[in-house]
Amino acid sequence: MTYDLIVIGGGPAGYLGAERAGHAGLKTLLIEKRFIGGVCLNEGCIPSKALLYSAKIYDNARYGEKYGITVQNAVLDHEKVIERKNKVVKTLVGGVKAQLKRNNVTVVEGFGEIAGRNSEGYEVKVGNDTYTAKRLLIATGSMPIIPPIPGVREGIEKGFVLTNREILDLKTVPASLVIVGGGVIGLEMASYFNSAGSKVTIIEMLDHIAGNTDREISNILMKNYQKKGIEFKLNAKVVEVKEGSVIYESNGEKFSAEADKVLMSIGRRPVVEGIGLENIGVEIEKGHIKVDERGKTNVPEVYAAGDVNGYSMLAHTAYREAEVCVNNMIGKKDIMRYNAIPSVIYTNPEVACVGETEETAKQKGIDYEVANISMRYSGRYVAENEGGDGICKVLVDKRYRKLIGAHMIGNYASEIIYGAGIMIETEMRVEDIKEIVFPHPTVCEIIREAIFEL
Amino acid sequence: MATPVIMPRQGQSVESCIITKWNVKKGDKVKIGDVLFTYETDKATFDEEAKVEGTVLDIFFEEGDDVPCLTNVCVIGNEGESTAEFDPRNKDAAASEKSASEEKSVSAPVETKEVPAETPAPAAPVSSGDRIKISPRARNLAERTGVDIRFATPTGPEGRIIERDIIALRESGPVVTPAAMSEYMASGISPMTSGTGLGGRITTADVEAGISATAVAASQFAPAQKPEAEFAEVKLTNIRKVIAKAMHNSLSTMAQLTLNTSFDATEILEFRKKIKETKDRMGLENITLNDIILFAVSRTILNHKDLNAHFLDDKMLVFNNVHLGIAVDTERGLMVPTLFYANLKSLNEISREAKALAESCQKGTISPDLLKGGTFTVTNLGALGIESFTPVINPPQTAILGVNTVVQRVREVNGEYVYYPAMGLSLTFDHRAVDGAPAARFLRDLKTNLENFSALLAK
Repeated sequence: MTYDLIVIGGGPAGYLGAERAGHAGLKTLLIEKRFIGGVCLNEGCIPSKALLYSAKIYDNARYGEKYGITVQNAVLDHEKVIERKNKVVKTLVGGVKAQLKRNNVTVVEGFGEIAGRNSEGYEVKVGNDTYTAKRLLIATGSMPIIPPIPGVREGIEKGFVLTNREILDLKTVPASLVIVGGGVIGLEMASYFNSAGSKVTIIEMLDHIAGNTDREISNILMKNYQKKGIEFKLNAKVVEVKEGSVIYESNGEKFSAEADKVLMSIGRRPVVEGIGLENIGVEIEKGHIKVDERGKTNVPEVYAAGDVNGYSMLAHTAYREAEVCVNNMIGKKDIMRYNAIPSVIYTNPEVACVGETEETAKQKGIDYEVANISMRYSGRYVAENEGGDGICKVLVDKRYRKLIGAHMIGNYASEIIYGAGIMIETEMRVEDIKEIVFPHPTVCEIIREAIFEL
Repeated sequence: MATPVIMPRQGQSVESCIITKWNVKKGDKVKIGDVLFTYETDKATFDEEAKVEGTVLDIFFEEGDDVPCLTNVCVIGNEGESTAEFDPRNKDAAASEKSASEEKSVSAPVETKEVPAETPAPAAPVSSGDRIKISPRARNLAERTGVDIRFATPTGPEGRIIERDIIALRESGPVVTPAAMSEYMASGISPMTSGTGLGGRITTADVEAGISATAVAASQFAPAQKPEAEFAEVKLTNIRKVIAKAMHNSLSTMAQLTLNTSFDATEILEFRKKIKETKDRMGLENITLNDIILFAVSRTILNHKDLNAHFLDDKMLVFNNVHLGIAVDTERGLMVPTLFYANLKSLNEISREAKALAESCQKGTISPDLLKGGTFTVTNLGALGIESFTPVINPPQTAILGVNTVVQRVREVNGEYVYYPAMGLSLTFDHRAVDGAPAARFLRDLKTNLENFSALLAK
């Protein structure tokens, strides 16, 4: 039997692509080697949100005095937090499976490897079975980068060096936790384990945290973290990991940080090996599958979406990329745009960004104007964030007077940012945005306030 | 349904265009976006792309034919469909444009009823500019919703576009983002059926790409070469023909003569250096010596109005504003775009606009409307090392200023010889309109203003 489409990988790109394809009437097969839902649902976005929410409730209880609330004997029961996290994941994985079923997608559990071509299309092997489809969607995602630092591999084997996968299933809260890499994953885990009682140290090679986030905002975030007792070692390079400590180098000197557990979160790399790409000649560039704006690889009817194409390692990017791929399969014109992809760090306070930062705008030679205001312009923010120091920054292209970037730090930012994304995607001008009515009092009004500063 | 393809109107002043190359033949299948044919106005060349998919059913004109704007050029449709009704040579059919538009207005609603799921193909775009008959209400709505009114199918009285046509167009036609709209309409690029933005919206990036694509297409057009022959017979491009006619007309009808002078360029060279150092900090353009001269001319010539004039045999039009023609050397030949109201613009604005005009001439995207209306022209051969020349007046203007290179000259100061940078100016004027002394007085004033440029800026 020949399928219209085989999807390799059941993460956000894979399961959503399969759902959309099934819905459009394509006979679709989805192959997943581990868990449906992928890293996002099982070992990433969703479980970490469950943990962070528990931490937030705990913090609210502990630090409620400034709002007139005193709670005694608040306890964070880590085991129960993990138990609830598992329940959340189970519910959502069940939901995805049900959606796949409703859209007539056949799911095969096992490791899929592209074997080659035949007259019907492409062959994919799962164990001893071979499946054939006219089209392929490669959505094999990414995996954590494990650097060749002495002691790291041994540490992983012994269980004191962790990746995003293991840390979400820790049975107990470690007394001390060293996080190598101050990106989104590292920061979110730092936030939870700091609340849960670990002594957290973040070691980052760069001179700033949070990757490409607006520098002013990442600095505010770091100060908030430092207040909570998280330690940062910037411009620092880990040279060795031992049981109980991490040795790092900074300014030519060696230091040691105490570590019951070590989280490696220096980044992720696309999974392009061992899946048989070479058997059909899919072009790989700098470690990721090369695709065009329609998600097509160099091989006819072979598409790739999600982390594996190397553009943006975010679940929501993967969703949209998979949709673009499926639309092109069914003959609907669609292309991927990357200029308005929001990114969020679900720390407390939250950070959310979309579009150009000042740094990228400068690089691209865009003539821009910036409005930078305190979140305290929002009444609701003041009411709910005692001592909050959040900001909102908007960037406007001077030539077209259109919004090109929005960056904020402050709670609810994650839920607000899509609004700015729409404005960027539709190329709204400052004068157009000024006509939009925002609900009052809300934190999202901050966008309106910032726009009127221009 | 068979759809006629019309010769687009590029700018209000263009009445007809020449088909220079057919890329398709009768019977070819075309997809949306395929280039059907290349055509040129007397100023630039353009590609006409297919707006609908189908088979080329008929071609009414050959390469080299001069086709009136808005006339049907070919027909795209399904095989077997009749094309006679679209044939502009067919005397039985009513005037071609009329029948085509009537056809569309009648059949469009039927089409949407039959296949409601399918988006109806947008109508072929009509001419740009104010010639489109549209109600103010419809225009207002179009501006707010970002649709390209050139695609609207008029259903109002006397072919007027009314509100419901814009509403219909919003569903079927291309939508332009608010930020992209003004440049899209102003840049002179061919109308687009869809873009790369949300839901196919035309974005600023599309407009920018369209501008450069038109330029590439235009530059690809080159005269045929026969390398094996002793000489190559090169058919004159329309642009070359226009230049030939204008230049000959100029020299054969006017009484032209040229005055040469030079001025001490120390101050403007220093000013330019200062601008170079501070432009990023101050947000200024890269202001060139030529920009400085354009500015100085715009501020000087209104005191010598006979030079800012048109000579029309029995009368002269003396202008109160300065619309500067700027000679631009392009691959296709000399083009002279107009910088309107130069006397009301700042140096920075002049610099920016001059650059943009030159760029769109180079790219071939310049709107023909910007290639006329000049009251005085500046041409600069300084970059090529020319020390003096006799520029040829662009009729019916009365004068043209040639700008030369900077050379080191010597003069005596307090008994010593000192070097100073001298820049040459060559003013050709029409002695029928102006006498030698007034023309020389203009040059003298211009020289004073350039030598005391900071004082001029302060005015």
